Amino acid sequence: MTSWKEQLGDRIPEQLAGEVDLFEGQIELKKQGKLDDKIFAETRLRRGVYGQRYDNGLRDDGTGQKTLAFPCGDLTKGPDTVWDAPGMMRIKIPFGKLTAEQLDVLSELAEENSDSILHVTTRQDIQLHFIHIEEAPDMMRRLASVGITTREACGNSVRNVTACEYAGVCTTQAFDVTPYANAITQFLLGHPDVQDFGRKFKIAFSGCEDNPCGLVTFHDLGAVAHVRDGKRGFRVVVGGGLGAVPVQAKVLAEFCPEEELLPLAQAVSRVFARLGEKQSRARARIKFLVQKVGIDEFKKLVAEEREGLRPDERWTAFLDDLHATDEKPVRDPGAIPGDAPAGFRAWAEHNLKPQAQEGYYSAIVKLPLGDFTATQGRALADLARKYTGDSIRCTVEQNLTFRWLSGADAVAFYDGLIALQMAAAGAGTITDMTSCPGTDTCKLGISASRGLTGELRKRLTLVEDELDPAVRALRMKASGCFNSCGQHHAADIGFTGVSRQVGGRKVPHFNIVLGGQWTENAKSYGLVVGAVPSKNIPKAVDLITEHYLANREGDESFQAFIARVGKREFRKVLAPIQKPPPYEEDPSYYSDWGNPREYTIGDIGIGECAGEIVPFVEFGLQQAEQQLHDAQDALEAGQSEAAALGAFTAMVTAAKALVRHLEVQVKDDADDVVANFKTHLHDTTLFHDPFAKGKFAAYLLKVHAEQSYENANDEIAHRMLDEAQLFLEAAHACYERLTQAAAAAAE
Amino acid sequence: MQATKFQVKLYARAGAIELEKLVPVFHEWIRNKKISDELLIDVADYAHVPQGPGVVLIGHQSDYYLDVADDRPGLLYSRKRGFDGDFQAGIDDAFQRALEACELLEAESSLDLEFATDEVLFRVQDRLNAPNGDATYAEYKPALEQASAAFFGAAPSLERLGTEREPFAVRIHTGASGSVADALAKH
Ligand code: HEM
Ligand code: SF4
Repeated sequence: MTSWKEQLGDRIPEQLAGEVDLFEGQIELKKQGKLDDKIFAETRLRRGVYGQRYDNGLRDDGTGQKTLAFPCGDLTKGPDTVWDAPGMMRIKIPFGKLTAEQLDVLSELAEENSDSILHVTTRQDIQLHFIHIEEAPDMMRRLASVGITTREACGNSVRNVTACEYAGVCTTQAFDVTPYANAITQFLLGHPDVQDFGRKFKIAFSGCEDNPCGLVTFHDLGAVAHVRDGKRGFRVVVGGGLGAVPVQAKVLAEFCPEEELLPLAQAVSRVFARLGEKQSRARARIKFLVQKVGIDEFKKLVAEEREGLRPDERWTAFLDDLHATDEKPVRDPGAIPGDAPAGFRAWAEHNLKPQAQEGYYSAIVKLPLGDFTATQGRALADLARKYTGDSIRCTVEQNLTFRWLSGADAVAFYDGLIALQMAAAGAGTITDMTSCPGTDTCKLGISASRGLTGELRKRLTLVEDELDPAVRALRMKASGCFNSCGQHHAADIGFTGVSRQVGGRKVPHFNIVLGGQWTENAKSYGLVVGAVPSKNIPKAVDLITEHYLANREGDESFQAFIARVGKREFRKVLAPIQKPPPYEEDPSYYSDWGNPREYTIGDIGIGECAGEIVPFVEFGLQQAEQQLHDAQDALEAGQSEAAALGAFTAMVTAAKALVRHLEVQVKDDADDVVANFKTHLHDTTLFHDPFAKGKFAAYLLKVHAEQSYENANDEIAHRMLDEAQLFLEAAHACYERLTQAAAAAAE
Repeated sequence: MQATKFQVKLYARAGAIELEKLVPVFHEWIRNKKISDELLIDVADYAHVPQGPGVVLIGHQSDYYLDVADDRPGLLYSRKRGFDGDFQAGIDDAFQRALEACELLEAESSLDLEFATDEVLFRVQDRLNAPNGDATYAEYKPALEQASAAFFGAAPSLERLGTEREPFAVRIHTGASGSVADALAKH
């Protein structure tokens, strides 16, 4: 055989085959210089072919930034993205459901095209890293031959539709949401109404209100199953999201009958496509639209849109057979043997959940950092064939769940896992951390979230059995930057990567976020209590958990405890470890976990978060938003001076982003930023608001000149925060004007 | 089409290994261009994965793993991009690069590693052009025997491993007992 295309023939569904051929053609055109960089980038992103750290051809080796001399020369696969540079492939796994056959093929690709590791993401996808773009089309063909598409896994599109991994087998569900999640996936994939989004759109389903599995509250669109008067439907929420400023979704419909779900999603999509922000990517998620118009107005818009929709038989066709997605167990139900060995029982405590169907269980295979090998993947596929059938689900906690395990087979299944060294106990406990890719492979990573997670996991696993049950039950999640891909807001203890300047050097830190609620679909987010050097995070975890155990009242939960004592108290607890020792004393603080290179943020690239590339300026504007957010926290905590300084810093960050956007060289220093801002943005009137003129720029210039953040009292801090908020708004607006002007000039 | 995604693994003499120590070593190889004709890019650390790829030095042309699959640590050389040269030269080159990487690792004082030469694992990560079956074995056997003899002397004995679901793999008992340096000197 000469090619996968020939070999697989009509095992590739016709439409997918055509799409992959087209993509392959575009790769050829790009190589011949006949396709624009931006267009090609968007094309590949929409097919799940993502960038990876260092793909601009630059990498700091610990002594300074060096050029990676790829043989492709000037050929690029997007703006500033070198053709030969390794990239990531995100493989969309709707609601995380995998068959044994699919797991086999994914394992083959991991070996042949990646580094033999398969990675489960926080949104139930599978990612492969270090892929060469020219190998992508054949990978897609092989995936397509087992019913997987990477289409719209990235880009400004409807991302993977997620759902609880227990859908269909759960003891608390109203009903199985799988057929609905499947229907919406099929309906929206490639739908004309979802092609013109300004930003990505994430949908999640949950079978019940109380349990966390669906995490619907931080999704763009979430649906929770309900039965009312014997009729099936959903409570539908909209406009949630994580990121720098996390937002809880708002209720769009208290009860949307099942037949109205798809049209409602379509109407929401049309409103988003029509009215959502398109210029400023930092404000383009639907949450900003909902905030801008208000939920009541948004509801009205959706209702009007719904009225005008042309009926589509796909809205309800799937309701004729809601069992089409049912899984068929391959073994008879049975009881767990009474004489099961102790090791099994310890594993079963957290890794085995009884199903609604008597005699069956769901088994969780706890993956370290969401990773498993191709060899393990094949062996797991065999275990599935033997014991559970095609019932595997990737979970949002980066594990794999095998449903429909007969109690009678549970010990044999566990023995199978032992042979693969995959029988780690404690799923969903403190040793089962979630982490985004962070600086390992993400272009936006600030700190090594995976390095940290690996370290904490190692340390805690050693003492796991001695931990107080209340501590053992805590959940921890880490994100390498404020984008929050590790979903750290929804954890008891969350970490976000930040960098701090100490004695003229950069030091990797993590902001600690406490008391986020994981239950009730991530009902509330945690509180930021402050940044701690990366290398002190294990100590911080000890201090936090010790403080909780020593001071809780009765069997008070961690969240209740945090809510009662407040973050101020934790700031005191953490204060002794917030300052790193000088470099000369201990240089280890100046490199990150699992990375011996001297720490730098110089490798941060332009993110391909979605669709079009995220320009650096937007990254800066988001960072400013976060600083402002932290300053607001500080004010709440009574720290007016810190709040005032934070407000000033946020303005400087935003100003710097804009100055850099004008391709002006600027130092990391407030005086230099303000001077350049004055020359290039204020004096040129570029920053001027059409109505308020120079008013907003004056806020920054005045605060800088008067240094009014020093010794600021509550009132001054308040005023500065308000001013900073307006300044940031003006910065976003200015950026929009600049891009529009650039676009107009290009035409 | 001829496959070129060859992998060659040589096993460490010590049974256990502290994988964390490989991370700074591989970073230093990148910094000092220790493998002069390869573009070395980054280090991927999978020490947390049991029986996994261990620590990987990611390159453009090839990857170098301190791999712990089957709980048997070893240096795994893995060619990713095409090779200009004939079939035998491609196989010889993979052997050569694996041995050279072993020699570099043996010279790292922080590691205290030594590699055995009596056994070599050879794999092809290309199910399209080299499916794990008799035909592929027939095609590769003479070339592998020749490569083994060229580096390790003696008459090797070969054994095909795995099923068709797995990549084509051959275990070579080289019959040698010398050092990595001996093998490189011999070729
Ligand atoms: C190249 C850089 C990036 C990488 C490698 C990356 C990776 C990831 C991964 C692995 C996930 C889990 C999601 C999934 O499976 O679909 C995720 C989710 C997420 N990403 Fe990213 N991401 C990147 C950039 C960004 C950027 C720039 C933003 C925002 C501006 C962002 C925001 C999020 C958020 C908020 C989530 C998770 C929570 C949710 O579902 O809303 N990511 N990202
Ligand atoms: S949170 Fe930041 S570092 Fe982590 S994957 Fe997302 S963008 Fe990258």
